[in-house]
Amino acid sequence: MLLPILIAPAAAALLCLVLRSRRAMEGLNILAFAVTVALGIRLLFEVLAVPGHVVTECQEFFRADALSAWMVLLISVVSLGTSLYAGRYFQRDLAAGAVTVGRAKEFFVLTPLFSAGMFLVVLANNLGVMWFALEATALSSVLLVALYNRSTSLEAAWKYVILGSLGLALALFGTVFIYAAAVDRNSTTQPSFNWSHLMLIAKQLDPRLVKLAFVFVFVGYGTKAGLAPMHTWLPDAHSEAPSPTSAMLSGVSLKVALYALLRFHILTTACLGTPFSRTMLLVFGLGSMCLAAPFILVQTNLKRLLAYSSLEHIGLICVGVGLNSPVTIFGALLHMGYHALTKPVLFFAAGNIHQSCHTLQLRLIGPGLAQMLPLTVVCMGLAAVAATGLPPFGLFLSEMTVLSGGFAAGQGGVSMLVLVALLASFCGILYQLARILLGAPKVARVSDAACWDGVPAMGLMLGALAVFSLWLPAPLLEVMHRAAGIIGGEP
Amino acid sequence: MIPTHTQLASQWITLLAAGMLIIQLLMVVQRMLLTNIRLFALQSLMLTAIAAIVAGANHAVDVYIVAGLTLVGKVFVLPWLLNRLVRRIQIHQEIEPLLNSTASMLLCGGLTLLGYIVARPFTSLEQLGNNTLAVAITLLLTGFFLMFNRRKAITQVLALLTIENGVMLAAVALTSYGMPLVVELGIFFDVMVAVMVLGILVYRIRETFASMDVSKLSQLKG
Repeated sequence: MLLPILIAPAAAALLCLVLRSRRAMEGLNILAFAVTVALGIRLLFEVLAVPGHVVTECQEFFRADALSAWMVLLISVVSLGTSLYAGRYFQRDLAAGAVTVGRAKEFFVLTPLFSAGMFLVVLANNLGVMWFALEATALSSVLLVALYNRSTSLEAAWKYVILGSLGLALALFGTVFIYAAAVDRNSTTQPSFNWSHLMLIAKQLDPRLVKLAFVFVFVGYGTKAGLAPMHTWLPDAHSEAPSPTSAMLSGVSLKVALYALLRFHILTTACLGTPFSRTMLLVFGLGSMCLAAPFILVQTNLKRLLAYSSLEHIGLICVGVGLNSPVTIFGALLHMGYHALTKPVLFFAAGNIHQSCHTLQLRLIGPGLAQMLPLTVVCMGLAAVAATGLPPFGLFLSEMTVLSGGFAAGQGGVSMLVLVALLASFCGILYQLARILLGAPKVARVSDAACWDGVPAMGLMLGALAVFSLWLPAPLLEVMHRAAGIIGGEP
Repeated sequence: MIPTHTQLASQWITLLAAGMLIIQLLMVVQRMLLTNIRLFALQSLMLTAIAAIVAGANHAVDVYIVAGLTLVGKVFVLPWLLNRLVRRIQIHQEIEPLLNSTASMLLCGGLTLLGYIVARPFTSLEQLGNNTLAVAITLLLTGFFLMFNRRKAITQVLALLTIENGVMLAAVALTSYGMPLVVELGIFFDVMVAVMVLGILVYRIRETFASMDVSKLSQLKG
């Protein structure tokens, strides 16, 4: 049942093209993503049915193992949260005249397409198909970034599309090299470009070519995943996009690009048998974490602050995979999940604040938001506490898993560096947010009607975060264990 | 001695790949925007010819389709779209590069050398033609240079497209049967959509900034 996961959002996008009522489009989006969540859960159980089970469809064109199933769940949950939040958000934007009716419609058409692209990335077996699906997500999201048509959002969109396309062109070079490595010189038949097939013949691939390919792919998909120093588009795009889109970009889109990178990492490690690819992941992950922390400390714009925090979290996930012990990889996957539930809440809250204060500059919106937008601030505060890695929330658990795994694997230096970067950004985020959320207000309290904006979506994701922080159901644990095994190179 | 069929094909491919490289270097020094678009179309035509020769030599139907798509898409449709965009937004024809042509040419000479050095260990993998991989990597490197040297939005789009030509050249040169058709179709479709999206953005940037100079896009920092 892989095809319906792709068809549901794609069909919703096409239907939204012909619909006129915004409510209907909104409902259709929510319905489509609710269906994908249900299908994602079903896929999870299907994959877990037999140990090492892989679901394939259309002559292995689509393929889902535990890693794909985990990504499908993340994408569908974040998309559902976004679609729940988006309706009210655009209602206010339309009322304020910030967007036209046509642009709001653009959002409801492009968002399901964006999701469908991401589903295709994680479900495609063919590495070439994975590439063009990733390019499709970039193209559908770039118009979303430019939605407000302000001079700054056009600038952000231009940087995003140019850097993204350059990166993807490099990744395509790498993909071509991998394919060239798989071509059998003595045979006249076209070899299969499927990841599963390449894994089978990994040992016979030309190691020099695979190495070169991985460098290209790393820079390419790394750009899309926002790894430093190719991250420069990330804070711009995240801060200028409408908040629901920022939530999608940060919550899953970065991780989907990382997923593509991980597939090549697994293949490269299987071929070379050396720590070449995971060392690159480790170095660039550490670099991203260390670079993000100072930018968080001096940040003046709320959504850019959140974007840099995403950079730091992506860095931690790369470090977890790069450390390559079963515990750290498991921690990295856990971190992906918790981050996907936390970051959208922060962006939703930032969206509410933006609409009430008409600015994102920290010195203009604070202090005293707590009295102005009480419910939004409660959600934001809880999510911020979670995102900085404080107990009892899950990110504490996943960060500790990665750190302790790092120490246990004898990588004390790396783990100390991670710890310092985590502490720095912890201080930065709490300091910056405390400044705007607490204290005596400058602006009068907004009407009670706006008070409840976005609270259902935020509450739902925070609730899920709280539940899963305290109690991880056995199937989720199992799927992450198996996914960690796949990344770690278990057969 | 009369060269065999394969040798002949191989020589033609080498010649055409060299032609693609020369056109790339011409684009580096050429300042007129419309001429640049025509040069890109010519470069794509050479890519089409290479694909057709490879298809003929290997009797690969898929590669014929790739050649056809390149011909329609990159030789006719994309240049036409870009031309229309240039006329519609009525911009200055002349591009002001950051580096002058002499310096650009020298730098691109260096990049070509670099491309040959990177490709050197892999020349044995090429079945038809010589050094096509080196040309492909050079197209990538000079494409990057074009992107940073030219501050106009449309020239950045052109630079991106030449990089894409480089990827396609590498694909044809290294794999001899081309990539699976579904992948080629996907890439083709993506490139077409990408140019349309970029066109929309160029149009909006032009409306908002009254300019197409991307160095004016510098408000977002930190």
